[in-house]
Amino acid sequence: MLIKLRHSVLFAISCFVIGFIVFAYSASINKVTDFIIFCIYVLGFDVLYGHMGRISFGHTLYLGAGAYGTAMFAKYVIPDPFLSIAIGIITGAVVGIILGPIVVKTKGAAFALINVAFNQVGYFLVLVALARFTGGEDGVSLSFKNYGFINFNNMHFLFYFSLVSLVVVYYLMYRLYLSAFGAMLIGIKENEIRVRFLGYNTHKYKWIAFIISTSISAFAGSLYVVNYGFVNPSFIDPARNVEVIFAALIGGPGTEIGVVVGGTAYMVISNYLPKYITRWEMFLGIALLIIAFKFRKGIMGYIREFVDKRIQALKTIG
Amino acid sequence: MSEVIAYGFTLGGILYIISIGFSLTFGSMRIVNFAHGLVYAVGAYALFALLPVAKGNFVIASILAIIASLPVSYIIEKFVIRRLYGKSIDYAIIASYAVLLIGVDLLKWIFGASPVPVSDPIGRNISFMTLDIPLYRVIIILLSFLIFTGLTIFFKKTIIGKIVIAGLGDREAVQSLGIDIDKYFAIVFILGSALASLGGILYGPISTVHPYMGFRIVTLCFAVVIIGGMGNLRGTAVASYSLGMVMAITAWFWGAAADAMVFVVMAIVLIFRPIEI
Repeated sequence: MLIKLRHSVLFAISCFVIGFIVFAYSASINKVTDFIIFCIYVLGFDVLYGHMGRISFGHTLYLGAGAYGTAMFAKYVIPDPFLSIAIGIITGAVVGIILGPIVVKTKGAAFALINVAFNQVGYFLVLVALARFTGGEDGVSLSFKNYGFINFNNMHFLFYFSLVSLVVVYYLMYRLYLSAFGAMLIGIKENEIRVRFLGYNTHKYKWIAFIISTSISAFAGSLYVVNYGFVNPSFIDPARNVEVIFAALIGGPGTEIGVVVGGTAYMVISNYLPKYITRWEMFLGIALLIIAFKFRKGIMGYIREFVDKRIQALKTIG
Repeated sequence: MSEVIAYGFTLGGILYIISIGFSLTFGSMRIVNFAHGLVYAVGAYALFALLPVAKGNFVIASILAIIASLPVSYIIEKFVIRRLYGKSIDYAIIASYAVLLIGVDLLKWIFGASPVPVSDPIGRNISFMTLDIPLYRVIIILLSFLIFTGLTIFFKKTIIGKIVIAGLGDREAVQSLGIDIDKYFAIVFILGSALASLGGILYGPISTVHPYMGFRIVTLCFAVVIIGGMGNLRGTAVASYSLGMVMAITAWFWGAAADAMVFVVMAIVLIFRPIEI
């Protein structure tokens, strides 16, 4: 029974759905909606980090692309929430399609920093170059149309919409990673040259994975805009990349549930810790250092090891 | 316009001084050292803090600031770089990023989040044919040429330099000669860090000194190293001066776009000359 649970995606999903609902109603619905959207963002980041083994230090670019795509569409075309979110996702995908060929040819440190470089360019575009449209430093505030009970101004609706989105993205990722494509990504992570020797065009697969990652991150960006009702350059700010990196690392990179755990963990830390420790950013840096040295598998990594040991013990007994 | 070119050389010179250490660490240890940006920032802040101690004498304050930044780079080398070097490059990046974060927050704590003022120590201009530029900038250009020449001699003529160049090319071959290459790379790391803090000191008076300056310079260094080549000394020089020129010319037309333009150039270079690291 334990073995079945450990591998059951339904169990994992039920756990976090119930967890989030309990959390939301006992703490603050708005905040937990925030946490959920952040988890979607980290899921997007993890496509590249946990599964393809490449760390991007500039993922806010894609979050911001989705956010600003949504916001600009809502402001200048129609403030329809579903269309705007769709446009946001498409913006993220387009950025992935354009930047992909340049970015995925690199790996390791170069991959990390190229993303930063493009992030800076994006930040500049939003803050200065296109400030007439984007509102520059102040950003833009919006309100969306509503359709009866599909009212995005209602925080309960937002909460459930985000939660359902998270479940959908989570399940999609679960299926993706179990598929042949997922196996390809792991192969590329382990030994790309060998995969190429097998005759696969790895650049194509890396490019597709990149587009998936940017689109999901952009989706998270769109949800943020719909949730908050405004957008500003902090969504695309390169300095905020550490959040998603920390979340992916602390949860356990490479597993979807690890991502959700990590995302929630980071959000909880960043929301509640500043009340007790003013220099919590330094604390974050120190924690990151400790994780890099000692704690690489993250929370879920260690939980899984623990559960697996229990399963081994049961097997030897029975 | 000729002032813009002169300014381009100034920026290029400073970029060169800072990037050389970054490029060497990358070339020798294959580690992207984000903490390089921290040593740079520490240099600038140390200058600010030590100027009153040196009673306003810029040269003495600079020397003291470089000396003050050496322990920082030594600690980074000993506790972070050396531990992760060779074992896990991926986590080395994260660890050095974490060090930069911690350092930036410490600087924010000690000096505050707003920029601190460091002014041009000379304040006079020099007139040279049609140019009228601050003498300080001319000195920076001369200094960067001096350092370039010095480094070239160091790497070509001295034994340490030759060992390092050989180690950059083929580490194992050097080790099989019985040479402890790690020690030499550590020396190179400290040298590079000292140059980074010098860069911070020199750049401080002509730009803003704020806690996040380290992040900015790391991305610029990275662009230089991508275009010039990892561990390639002459390439770093060419790339630094070219990018300095790009920044100066862009700044003349559209001030805020200077940094972004560097990355656009980098992207263009990458399209035509993709690298696999």
